[in-house]
Amino acid sequence: MSTVLTTTPTAPAVTPTEGTTTVDRISKVVRLHLTSTWGLLVLPWIILGSAFAITLAIWAILTASLPPEDGLAAGDGTQFNGGVLSILVYMLVAGVTAISASFPFQLGFGVTRRDFWIGTSVLFLALSAGNAVVLTLLAAIETWTNGWGFGAHMFTAVWFDAGSWLGTWFVFFAVQAYFMFTGALFGTFYMRWRMNGLVVLWIAIGVLTVGAVALLTWTQSWPALGTWFVGLGPVGVAAWSLVPSAVFAGLAWLALRRATPKN
Amino acid sequence: MIEDGKPIFVQIAERIEDDIVDGALPDGGQAPSTNEIAAFYRINPATAGKGVNRLVDDGILVKRRGIGMFVADGARERLLARRRASFVADFVAPLLSEADALGIGPDEVAALIRESRKDTTP
Amino acid sequence: MTAVIDTDRLSRRYGDVHAVDDVSISVAEHGIVGLLGRNGAGKTTLMQLLTGQDFPTGGTATVFGERPLENARVLSNVCFVKESQRYPDEFKGRHALKAASLCFPDWDAAFAAELVEEFRVPVDRPIKKMSRGQQSAVGVIVGLASRAPLTFFDEPYLGLDAVARQLFYDRLLADYAEHPRTVVLSTHLIDEVANLLEHVIVIDDGRIVIDEPADELRERGATVIGPAERVEAFVAGREVLHRERLGGTASATIAGRLTPEDRAAARADGLELAPVSLQQLVVRTTGGPALGTETDA
Repeated sequence: MSTVLTTTPTAPAVTPTEGTTTVDRISKVVRLHLTSTWGLLVLPWIILGSAFAITLAIWAILTASLPPEDGLAAGDGTQFNGGVLSILVYMLVAGVTAISASFPFQLGFGVTRRDFWIGTSVLFLALSAGNAVVLTLLAAIETWTNGWGFGAHMFTAVWFDAGSWLGTWFVFFAVQAYFMFTGALFGTFYMRWRMNGLVVLWIAIGVLTVGAVALLTWTQSWPALGTWFVGLGPVGVAAWSLVPSAVFAGLAWLALRRATPKN
Repeated sequence: MIEDGKPIFVQIAERIEDDIVDGALPDGGQAPSTNEIAAFYRINPATAGKGVNRLVDDGILVKRRGIGMFVADGARERLLARRRASFVADFVAPLLSEADALGIGPDEVAALIRESRKDTTP
Repeated sequence: MTAVIDTDRLSRRYGDVHAVDDVSISVAEHGIVGLLGRNGAGKTTLMQLLTGQDFPTGGTATVFGERPLENARVLSNVCFVKESQRYPDEFKGRHALKAASLCFPDWDAAFAAELVEEFRVPVDRPIKKMSRGQQSAVGVIVGLASRAPLTFFDEPYLGLDAVARQLFYDRLLADYAEHPRTVVLSTHLIDEVANLLEHVIVIDDGRIVIDEPADELRERGATVIGPAERVEAFVAGREVLHRERLGGTASATIAGRLTPEDRAAARADGLELAPVSLQQLVVRTTGGPALGTETDA
């Protein structure tokens, strides 16, 4: 310390900054979820693409092995194709990890539970809406190309056939939202109560299902329920699915508002 | 560099005083800044500041606003005077008490000092 | 000086376990504070309560004058670097830094890039696949470059080698000098950080056992060594933290401060006085040799 050094001026101290607006904070949560685009924007389409490629391959093999007059279109069995289920199941898983991984992460980075849940819900709805646009476009292409040249159905399977493109979009949107919020419900129960929460949730679902089945059986309402469903059509069922989706979102918030981010 | 059992700011003040006494920091010279002291000794800047301020309060360093800390005129002389004053208490007294315990008389101590002085100075 | 952290009888119980028990502390603005204690003493829980991660079961926590729970205004000024921060599985190092830039208003990207170089963090590698030390380095970089007015480092350097830890201390001191803020450093490597601290809080079994300026703490405590009966006579009436004996020689560590007269008396009595390091003081106060042994809490 025998060297004589020069003085450096000191910058002003760090002072607390004021809070930002709710919209800023919600959009921050959404951007945090999308910091890595892989899980929510890329992987779903890789999964759907793989399912689609496999489906196309099967169609090609079937078409080649069937006599021309008995082509795929003849039987129209592909109307009941479930290829789109791949992305739906993935969105359910994404709904779980959006909670199980991102909740501890975002809270660790100073996000409040409330902002996290609002932002995550906004993200779920936006993803459902955006993905639905792409799926609807694919359905349109499927129609224009006469089932990708095979006369077959994947994106225009009977479940999504709403009669109008807007209807088809709505069905895609509602069903994805349903899957995502279902995943989130499991994720939040796990976050709040760990394994016990999941067990209770599964028991509750079991009890409710058995109760509903028993009720329908005793009141001999099965045919009525069938008629009701058919009468509703895809758009009607999709619209009704928003009710359980909203209930799940509400339950997820109740679980999350007192949850602590454990690793 | 920093010892236990003594407040760090006291040790910092003492080091700067040492530099002034041995001439490394001449009268009117600029003393190192708090941040430099903090980085050098790996101590908290506030603690370094406390050490420096102790010397300012003591009139050893003077603060020139916006420029830094400088050694006050006559600081070295004052420090030397102070150290001479406490020399007996700090060094001679413990020496004599140890000499006492060993049965070495004052004359013998003086002789020993002269002898080792010869050994160390060529 | 304004208090950045203020707690009043803050408590967190899990069933019968008092993780944080009746804690009333006040941390002034701008300073490096050590939160020391054994593993499981309640350091992490206390920090979780102060950052709104956990819910108190009693008392209150105030940070920047407000309750931290669900308080975006408070939390945007706080950075909490956890021992093992959870990141989404697909996160690479650069994603963590990107996320930090979104979350911390005072984030300095250039400084972060500099630190990435210095700590040699492979930012294009998924965090899950990084070594323990690299993961810790990501946390340290987030904590430093966030420049949050209140930053908590909770055992931030698991797996970091001595070189990287020294780098952390040096960068913390240098950046703190340029951008004064409040830093709470929780660690059990007390010797390494002792000189950095302005204030020391020691928690044991959920309770605060030391809450003092570091300078005052340094003057406290001494180990008295000498013939057993004379040591005993000297420490009579003083708070003795620790006693050891080897044949006729005894050593006793006392907690209080010794006046110059005390010291002179001890010397006259033929007793040797040795200073007590912060680490020794904490070990003696929190009673037990386990402190300093590494376990993943």
